[in-house]
Amino acid sequence: MAAFPISSNFEGDFVMQLIPVDTEDTMDQVAEKCAYHSIGRRVVAQPDKVLRVRMHQTNENYPRDMKVSEAGWRPTETLDIIFADS
Amino acid sequence: MYQIPRAEWYDLTRATNWTPSYVSEEELFPEEMSGARGIPMAVWETYDEPYKVTYPEYVEIQRQKDAGAYSVKAALERDAYVDRADPGWISTMMAHYGAIAVNEYAASVAEARMARFSKAPGNRNMAVFGTLDENRHGQIQLFFPHANVKRNRQWDWAHKAMHTNEWAAIAARAFFDDIMLCRDAIAVSIMLTFSFETGFTNMQFLGLAADASEAGDHTFASLISSVQTDEARHAQQGGPSLKILIANGHKEEAQKMVDISIWRAWKLFSVLTGPIMDYYTPLEHRSQSFKEFMVEWIITQFERQLVDLGLDAPWYWEDLTKDLDTTHHGMHLGVWYWRPTVWWNPAAGASPEDRQWLEEKYPGWNKTWGRCWDVITDNLNNDREDLTLPETLPYICNMSQLPIVGTPGDGWDVKDYTLEHNGRLYHFGSKADRWCFEQDPVRHQEHQSLIDRFLSGQIQPADLPGALAYMGLGPGEMGQDAHNYAWAAAFKKQAKVA
Ligand SMILES: [Fe+2]
Ligand SMILES: [Fe+2]
Repeated sequence: MAAFPISSNFEGDFVMQLIPVDTEDTMDQVAEKCAYHSIGRRVVAQPDKVLRVRMHQTNENYPRDMKVSEAGWRPTETLDIIFADS
Repeated sequence: MYQIPRAEWYDLTRATNWTPSYVSEEELFPEEMSGARGIPMAVWETYDEPYKVTYPEYVEIQRQKDAGAYSVKAALERDAYVDRADPGWISTMMAHYGAIAVNEYAASVAEARMARFSKAPGNRNMAVFGTLDENRHGQIQLFFPHANVKRNRQWDWAHKAMHTNEWAAIAARAFFDDIMLCRDAIAVSIMLTFSFETGFTNMQFLGLAADASEAGDHTFASLISSVQTDEARHAQQGGPSLKILIANGHKEEAQKMVDISIWRAWKLFSVLTGPIMDYYTPLEHRSQSFKEFMVEWIITQFERQLVDLGLDAPWYWEDLTKDLDTTHHGMHLGVWYWRPTVWWNPAAGASPEDRQWLEEKYPGWNKTWGRCWDVITDNLNNDREDLTLPETLPYICNMSQLPIVGTPGDGWDVKDYTLEHNGRLYHFGSKADRWCFEQDPVRHQEHQSLIDRFLSGQIQPADLPGALAYMGLGPGEMGQDAHNYAWAAAFKKQAKVA
């Protein structure tokens, strides 16, 4: 358990934001923490979609149950949070 | 008493140089201050400034300028324009004064460096006047807002802003430190006077003077014009330096200095002037859009000047042209959303009529920026102001010190340009911001952005209230929506009518 800062690039939003996550968080939890600062604030929710996390400017989503500690991120790593069908 | 006619002595005095005998030339003009770049003294003596003035002439003109501006202020004081001006216009003045006034004082230090250390006598002569100019700009732009301190604590930020760690103040200082306070005399003449002043100061001051007249603010308009005429003169110091550098095999370095300064100036203006021109100035008083000003003053006119001198348009010119449609909309939305972190009250500029204008000037605005403003508008109209206020910090660029922004909504395109350097991960808002860093990493690598300071524990408590305290923003100083959300309520009325 350790706080870990990331930069959230949330689909549809206009700005990157500093989000503190935890090394024990799963990717779904990371997405949820990022969503808190974008959805309903400047981005409309999409209840029929799920949020997936991937490295900035790449196309491959991390497994939803993967932990932050397993992702090999550098502190302040920039991540894209994307609306996906599954 | 017989006076020698000006024509008979002027050229001799303005080109006076001397041969040092008590100290060496290197001691008199240390390279790190002078920046002669190995070009001999005799060549610097050919420096030919296009604008020539004597000290008596200068003093006489300046006295008239001051008398003019101060008498307009005194005559209109009872009129209390400030009390009936649109709040968006008040915000324009507050943002301008806080970002500019104290930096004018700093600019007099930069001018004084040229006045003392430039190896070109003509440059030294001009810069003496430049030093006096910038001192005057600092004073007049503190004196005018000071009359309003009794109205509101935010006016005090005309002086206070640059002495704080408020984020926009950090960004402005980072820029001005780089181009004018931490450079040699010749670099100052190019990066401050040629790149920044001929391009951007012109636009800020002429644009604002036009908007001020339109808005009926004659005090501000006369102040701004009085400053601008000085700028137009002392901005001409860089051209002759560039000619000498280019003719003596330093074109590449000259080009690089121009490119760095223009890019960094553009980013600062995208957060300062962009929102002012396209959002804060009341719709009916906008003379041109920010993009139109930029195209006229920077893209067209400035490029022509570069070509005339034998330089090229900066390598990022196409990126810059494209960014004119996006960057400042993001900066504005960021400033508005994080409004408690600024010393003025941002005007949203997002009423139904404003949005129509924005869509006209920036086709596609409604489907991109408008998407974010839709959510904000709905929240305000459904008693959810809390969702229109920040609970974390935006990520900050390690060069511009401004939020990393891009296009939202249907055209979503927000990019981070990263660089791992000496084991540290740097983030940049554009390719050109990263390029500025890469040109001289040692110069920038130790600087800590607001995010870096937050993460290293310098901001306590480590939350948004802690950040506000760190930025020096007390109650009555933090920004609020300039129009108390009347622009959002207008949509509610529209819906009812429908
Ligand atoms: Fe000035
Ligand atoms: Fe100036």
